[in-house]
Amino acid sequence: MNTAEQRSFVLNSSSGVGVLNEIFTVLPGSFRRLLTALPDSIQDKVEEVRIRQGRPLLLGLSHGDTFVSPEGRPTRLITEAYQVTSDDMERLIQLISCSSIYALEEELRNGFITLPGGHRAGITGRAVLDGGKVKTLKYFSGFSIRISREVVGAALKAMPYIIDVGGKGIYHTILVSPPRCGKTTMLRDMIRLISSGISALNFKGLTVGLVDERSEVAGCYRGIPQRDVGVRTDVLDGCPKAEGMMMLLRSMSPRVIAADEIGRREDVSALEEVLNAGVKILVTAHGSTLAELAERPALGSMIRSKMIERFVILGRSKGVGTIEDILDGKTLRSLGVKRC
Amino acid sequence: MLKLVGAALVVIASGLGGIAVAANYSRRPKELRSIRSALQMLETEIAYGSTHLPEAMSMVASRCDSSIAPIFIRAASELTSMTGATAAEAWEVSLSSFSPGSALKQQDISILRNFGSSLGISDREDQIKHLRLASEQIGMENAAAEEEAVRNVKLWSYLGFLCGLMIVLVLY
Repeated sequence: MNTAEQRSFVLNSSSGVGVLNEIFTVLPGSFRRLLTALPDSIQDKVEEVRIRQGRPLLLGLSHGDTFVSPEGRPTRLITEAYQVTSDDMERLIQLISCSSIYALEEELRNGFITLPGGHRAGITGRAVLDGGKVKTLKYFSGFSIRISREVVGAALKAMPYIIDVGGKGIYHTILVSPPRCGKTTMLRDMIRLISSGISALNFKGLTVGLVDERSEVAGCYRGIPQRDVGVRTDVLDGCPKAEGMMMLLRSMSPRVIAADEIGRREDVSALEEVLNAGVKILVTAHGSTLAELAERPALGSMIRSKMIERFVILGRSKGVGTIEDILDGKTLRSLGVKRC
Repeated sequence: MLKLVGAALVVIASGLGGIAVAANYSRRPKELRSIRSALQMLETEIAYGSTHLPEAMSMVASRCDSSIAPIFIRAASELTSMTGATAAEAWEVSLSSFSPGSALKQQDISILRNFGSSLGISDREDQIKHLRLASEQIGMENAAAEEEAVRNVKLWSYLGFLCGLMIVLVLY
């Protein structure tokens, strides 16, 4: 399955430091000092910041991870590493939540908060239960801040395989990828290209409806997209996917409906509705191979029904965002991405 | 004739002085009442609107009595400036810049300070509890302040004029 030539998009290094600045606003002063002291070459590569109380501050880079010394130097030694204090944690939760933990019960129940700019802060702590269900979290113990980067042009090479023969529409497409392989970045760029059009391919651009449940794709702040998702894109921000897709279908007459991280049964049944309504779909799903995806209870049936026309498999064998393969949905054969 | 004019001036001046002192006494209950209603507005924003704290603060500031609005304006701006200040710190900064020019007493400020230390760090029910507690305590201070005001306002407005009259009598 991985025979096709593997390609990757190069992270746009000029945007790297700026992107890190975006999350500084939610970091306590001590972390800001550490991170600004880091060399630019490291700042560019930071993909996530992992913060665990009483344990060393850890930066996830594109290749491996590193501790940071109290002077802001990357280090491999645990003994030299900056230890996260309880004061850091208290400040962090207040800054991340805008001092409004009471307003974030839904987010805490899901275990993450979306920050301005579409970055995601995952949270762990002690769950507070109500009738056997998680009501909220308290005693926050760990944060993982995923930095979302906009890579304009990341999806260009895949587009000729997504646009249909006449060049008027697109194929029903699923992006398949394990976590941290640039799935959301790829989806965002595809949406941008489909919505704004691609002059090189003589593709005019279609109305896209995007259901952005986690505010990660368009990075909406108060409903306004902060990322470039194209000129013909309508974003339904923070809306559950299944409901959102039906709302868009009824209200905004989209030609393409896009959503991130499809997996639940209700998502899949909403997708089937969309498919039958003559609207094209562009969604992502967790999984490293198609076989793995077919094993998943909700998605399996849809794959077997051959309604999906293109599978784009992502990986990181040549860096984040490598397009490992593009498959035809009917024959499940590789389209030989090397030819483009 | 000149003597009479002078005497009148003395009476008027000390009378006005007395009224000014009296007005100061009635300022405190007014401020306390405004704070109480502002806290209730904040409670509504938090409980029903789920509004984020900086936004809730600015909303309260725009609707509450102008004499106490600076507390909320300053706290909101501290929070939105994203300097890394927590809500408790922002509230503290704002209180210490507000208190010197206000008629509030130390005990009023310390109620607000205690309330600030729990601001924004817990879930909805807990926030509401703290807001109600502060509001209740302010209400009690207000009752005492009003009683004090009634007594002192009368006393000082008479006292001013009477002192003026006495000075005139002694000097005449």
